[in-house]
Amino acid sequence: MAPSGVVLLALALALVGAALALRGFAYPRPRPPGPGGGPWRHLGRMEVAFVEAAADTLFPPGGEIPPSGSEAGVAAFLDRYLDAVPAGVRRLMRLLLVLVEHGTLLFPAPGWNGFRRFSALSEAQRVAALDGWRRSRLFPRRLVFTSLRALLAMGYLADPRVLRALDLAPRDIEPVVTEVDLLYPPVGAGREAIPWTEADLDRGGHRPPLGPDTPLHPDYRDPTPAAGGGRA
Amino acid sequence: MSSGSRAPAEQLRVFADYRGPVREEADVAVVGSGPCGAVAARELATRGLRVVLLEEGPPLSARDIVLDGALSMTRTMREAGLRATRGTVMPTMQAIVLGGGSFVNSAICVRAPDFVLDGWCEVAELSATSRKDLDPHYDAVAALSGVAPTPDEVQGRRNLLFRDGCRALGIPSEPIERNVRGCRGSGECFTGCRSRAKQSADLTWIPDAMRHGARVLTSVQIQELLHERGRVVGVAGRVAEPFTGRLSHPVSVRARAVVLAAGVMATPVLLQRSGNLANRSGQVGENLQFHPGVAATGIYPEPTDPWFGATQGYQSLHFVRDGFKLETLWAPPGVMSVRTPGFGHELKRRLAEIRRSATFDAIASCHRSLGRVRARRRGLDPAITWRLHPDDVDILMRALHVLCRLHFAAGAEKVLPGVHGAPDELFREEEAEIFVRRRFGPGDLVTAGNHVFGTTRMHGDPRRGVVDEHGRCHDVENLFILDTGIFPRSPGVNPMLTGMALARRGAHALADQLGGRSAPEA
Repeated sequence: MAPSGVVLLALALALVGAALALRGFAYPRPRPPGPGGGPWRHLGRMEVAFVEAAADTLFPPGGEIPPSGSEAGVAAFLDRYLDAVPAGVRRLMRLLLVLVEHGTLLFPAPGWNGFRRFSALSEAQRVAALDGWRRSRLFPRRLVFTSLRALLAMGYLADPRVLRALDLAPRDIEPVVTEVDLLYPPVGAGREAIPWTEADLDRGGHRPPLGPDTPLHPDYRDPTPAAGGGRA
Repeated sequence: MSSGSRAPAEQLRVFADYRGPVREEADVAVVGSGPCGAVAARELATRGLRVVLLEEGPPLSARDIVLDGALSMTRTMREAGLRATRGTVMPTMQAIVLGGGSFVNSAICVRAPDFVLDGWCEVAELSATSRKDLDPHYDAVAALSGVAPTPDEVQGRRNLLFRDGCRALGIPSEPIERNVRGCRGSGECFTGCRSRAKQSADLTWIPDAMRHGARVLTSVQIQELLHERGRVVGVAGRVAEPFTGRLSHPVSVRARAVVLAAGVMATPVLLQRSGNLANRSGQVGENLQFHPGVAATGIYPEPTDPWFGATQGYQSLHFVRDGFKLETLWAPPGVMSVRTPGFGHELKRRLAEIRRSATFDAIASCHRSLGRVRARRRGLDPAITWRLHPDDVDILMRALHVLCRLHFAAGAEKVLPGVHGAPDELFREEEAEIFVRRRFGPGDLVTAGNHVFGTTRMHGDPRRGVVDEHGRCHDVENLFILDTGIFPRSPGVNPMLTGMALARRGAHALADQLGGRSAPEA
């Protein structure tokens, strides 16, 4: 490459870098991920802003399932999820978030300001941007959308309020103690942590099938006093 | 299947038990505790052989089961459940937990049809793998696993809609036979059975192996096979922390013979990492096949309460000769939502319809769609390459067409086929004709493939296969491979029971070879 070409390339890279840096400075500090107020373990402020914007585009407030994506804690779920996946996968997932957040540089949303980062777009522009990924003729773009939507949907559908609204919250199943429950300790613990004894062993007998009236699992019950179990 | 006495706890080692290097000796080291490895370990132990069963994952107690589908997968599946093929991108999941795939599958037990096994005998030059040859082994593993048809009381509405659709179209169908006892229809098979009804290997075969003297080492990652002068002499690896996979103390097991039942992805990687062992044929890691699946969700006028009922309770084998099998499906909501189209209020509206939904799926025997498994430079996770052949896409589209017809015949208001290039929602049966009239490509489908075969295939000719029909490696006589990797091609139906039957047969062949005592009465 001729020296002038190298200079031009370096200048172009510097400009792109500066543009990305400027786009990155504009993110607000996110709220803590949970009621306990602990720190975010993996997601940075850019990623939280993007996830909340994308989650609210996928799951806007109101309608048949009241909570929005951000109200359902999708970003906090994703932070927990990233903690549980291998490091290589985690890097790829974070790259996915960056790709769609800044993908407007390559695939701008409609409007004169459609080049702005995804989380800075208007609601209508975000819808159009995501629809561009979803309906693209390029398989890799559709794959990006499918992957992003799957991640955010998993987070949305992990929220007890959402599951109650859909009547899909797990039910309460009384524990059945079998021989192996006297054999296998909880993961990471020794045998002394096994909570059961021979006296707890299941003696057989018919347990009726579950059904719509089976109470919800305690973790999924509505904490407000007026709510009951069973159907949400 | 309990023989009455309790499995001795001292024969099980969990992560907390390891304080330093581990050295064991045995007649047979069995690598992998999925349904095939567990059957092999139990059968070898009943023949009086000293068995060590090794599993990288931990045993999961009922309290360890996580209800959220996504988080559950990060704990029970390799690569956090996000493993995918290259070439044609398709998710594929392999378990990492005591009991292997049987802990997280939906307990479907189907015998491979006669014509499939006859086909295997023909293409792989086998002489003793007909249905008649395997039936005694099918009978034995089915009896010990509690295999029985799913009763109506736990079918739930969505499974019975499949039955109704089949009846309306004149397609034979039947309740799925499963290895369960006392199912309550929680629909939670994929995250582990809280009711302890599913008779996964960790509940049945492994405790019974221990009763017969087998030792079980969990949280041990086997990294290589030890071999000298053309024979295996044991296996070596390291203790692996549950969920994080962090490696610590070295582990070695010296053994007179080794059984590899680490699964279709891990078994060839172990051989490749062990000096390309048992690969004079060049077939280790080749011939990878899947059962790619497609699904269609029907929305019905009345609530179906889809969370209730056997995860997969009804099936039809009517089209197996045409290359696909039909069945019902339920999965955690987060997983099911992947196929729900759209976003915004449209997506929310469709999610709200899940309570009126039923999902039917088809798995296809894609003989033309082949791939390979290779060890990566580091670690034991495989590099998987696979391509869905265009002709096999046609089979999947035909299956999808039938699934849509079933829904409309059962009274669905609309059907969500989940195919790029087709409408998001179909409202009339005629609209489903698009799947047989138009050509679709592999990238148009949302598919997954968790049944895997072929990477250490059996073949009568040592130049064309890795093992003989008993699972014995052609090149290494005291090394057996007993997982579904030895299938020469797709079994046409869910593979667990066939894998267990072949494992039982192979284990007894090995016991005979090692001079084990006579087989006990069934």
